Amino acid sequence: MEEPTDLIRSARFRKEREADWLRLESLAAKAETQGLRRMSFGEARDLAALYREATTSLAIAREISLDKGLLLYLEALTARAYLSVYAPQESARGIIGRFLSKSGPVAMRNSWFFVMLGFLSMGLGLLAGYLLYFDDPAWFYVLMPPELAGGRGPDATTDYLRSVIYQDDPDASGLGAFATFLFSHNTRIAIFVFGLGVFLCAPAIALTFYNGLAIGAFVGLHVDRGLGWDLFGWLSIHGVTELSAICIACGGGIQLGAAVLFPGQNTRAEALRIAGRDAAKLAIIAALMLIAAALIEGFGRQLIQDRNARLIIGWTIGGLWLMWFIRGGRTQS
Amino acid sequence: MKLRNKAKTAAPDPNVLLPPEGVPLHLTVAGMGARFGAQITDILITMIGAIALVVLLAVMDLTSPQTLWAISALLFFIIRIPYYVLTELAWNGQTIGKRMLKIKVVSRDGLSLSAHALVVRNLMKEAEIFLPGTLLLTLDAASPIASLIALGWVIGTIAVPLTNKRRQRLGDMIAGTYVIDLPTPILLKDLAQSVPKPVKDKFVFLSHQLDHYGTLELQTLEDLLRAQENRPAMQTNARNKATLDSVIEKIRNKIGYADKVQPADSVAFLRAFYNAQRAHLEQKQLFGERRQDKFHADKVDPD
Repeated sequence: MEEPTDLIRSARFRKEREADWLRLESLAAKAETQGLRRMSFGEARDLAALYREATTSLAIAREISLDKGLLLYLEALTARAYLSVYAPQESARGIIGRFLSKSGPVAMRNSWFFVMLGFLSMGLGLLAGYLLYFDDPAWFYVLMPPELAGGRGPDATTDYLRSVIYQDDPDASGLGAFATFLFSHNTRIAIFVFGLGVFLCAPAIALTFYNGLAIGAFVGLHVDRGLGWDLFGWLSIHGVTELSAICIACGGGIQLGAAVLFPGQNTRAEALRIAGRDAAKLAIIAALMLIAAALIEGFGRQLIQDRNARLIIGWTIGGLWLMWFIRGGRTQS
Repeated sequence: MKLRNKAKTAAPDPNVLLPPEGVPLHLTVAGMGARFGAQITDILITMIGAIALVVLLAVMDLTSPQTLWAISALLFFIIRIPYYVLTELAWNGQTIGKRMLKIKVVSRDGLSLSAHALVVRNLMKEAEIFLPGTLLLTLDAASPIASLIALGWVIGTIAVPLTNKRRQRLGDMIAGTYVIDLPTPILLKDLAQSVPKPVKDKFVFLSHQLDHYGTLELQTLEDLLRAQENRPAMQTNARNKATLDSVIEKIRNKIGYADKVQPADSVAFLRAFYNAQRAHLEQKQLFGERRQDKFHADKVDPD
């Protein structure tokens, strides 16, 4: 052992620790390829301990060593080990369970004000569309996108309108595809409404309002022909869930926009990040509701032709959602 | 000269991440090209996955063609978000595309990635790029305004990463994440360790001879020597020999080293000099005297 004495300090420093570094390197590679879960207790413990040792080595090396090769190696090694030590430890199932049982409803309750704003913009739009239709039926053509109206309009006969609501032969008219189209339309609206909220709320509110306008005019048309309750049933069965989803997505969007508009003491980016915690959960809830609505729409609307049954199912499901939002995740006190 | 009186705090280096251990780590922010490439790979993978599922459904003949069409439309739409979130969760911030291009999502605060952050950044990706993108592809010339809005939107969101130093998308900002290049640790041989003893005794440098150079020159010399080490064939190259000779000549003139160096000894001389110089500089550094380069650039008060 006479050799190490004539080595310079940084070379001795390296010689003493090199074996640990190499072991850390192999452990980190193992953690990356196989995952921490599959490693034995000893290996996981060594990984954490050796990583902390390596951070110390890096801090010392920056002070005492001028060996560029060594410094670069230690930088990369520590970073690599850091990334495998601080890896998410949650399982997908645990996250989904936690979201459903706790964090989802809690986020809804935290941002009730924004969700209300979302419902308000949709409701006002609905009212405005309804009143505009009675002002002049021609508004229908302005407000309703023709591809969504599907032939229904002020020119259509009452019988035709009724036949669409109570479909005798769903497959013949391709209602399944139409429902899917409507669904993808509404999903798109929901995502836009959420994403556009970042731009100072206005686009989200405007789009939700416009969506309300179209439905309002649509309702106006049917009420005008004495089909109000029938349409209400037709819309209720999936619309309670689907339109609520759009309103909730809008609420999330408004929340993001409000963070940009009124960041308070934080920087705008920071405020956006904080608002994102709840807004993202609203978006996921909206997505879940849209998927649920699609299922109801795909099966329920064609199978259940009775108006009252449609009303009951639609609003019961709506009530269940509400129960989840209000009761979910409350701690027993 | 700054006219402002208040000294502004220097912007933090975008390439530095501070883990909970408190030792700043150097992690290079990934370039737009790598991220774009990873994105394309992932889009291809999800598309192939969706097509495979649709084909499977068609072959099994479970549903009518019309529903199949509806299902496939839906599938293309909803397969992406779970794919991104679950792969990034399972592989700690890497999708398959990111793994191939060796980039990775990290959390800005130095802690581990949370499920929330991953969901947010991928949810926003949908709103930022995919939806307007599909809108752009599906819309026709009949509605130029919508196409223009979609185009402007896509350009706008793609431009966002260019405006900040960590190349964060909107989704990254909300999630508090950014994308880095994965570092690869390569342990090179220590040059100071492998000097044979006779060589060390052959060239002796005095303290005042080592006072000329700084860290920059030392590490440049290190690069030169590592290149010699990695490619032994180069040592017989005439041009390489000329380079080494001129380097040695420069050093000898600078430090006033009187003895001529034999051509056969040129690498050995440089290694001995590297050793002595490094020992000298490290010694001084221990006593708080860091020297950046031969101009003593660090001595000038940065003010």
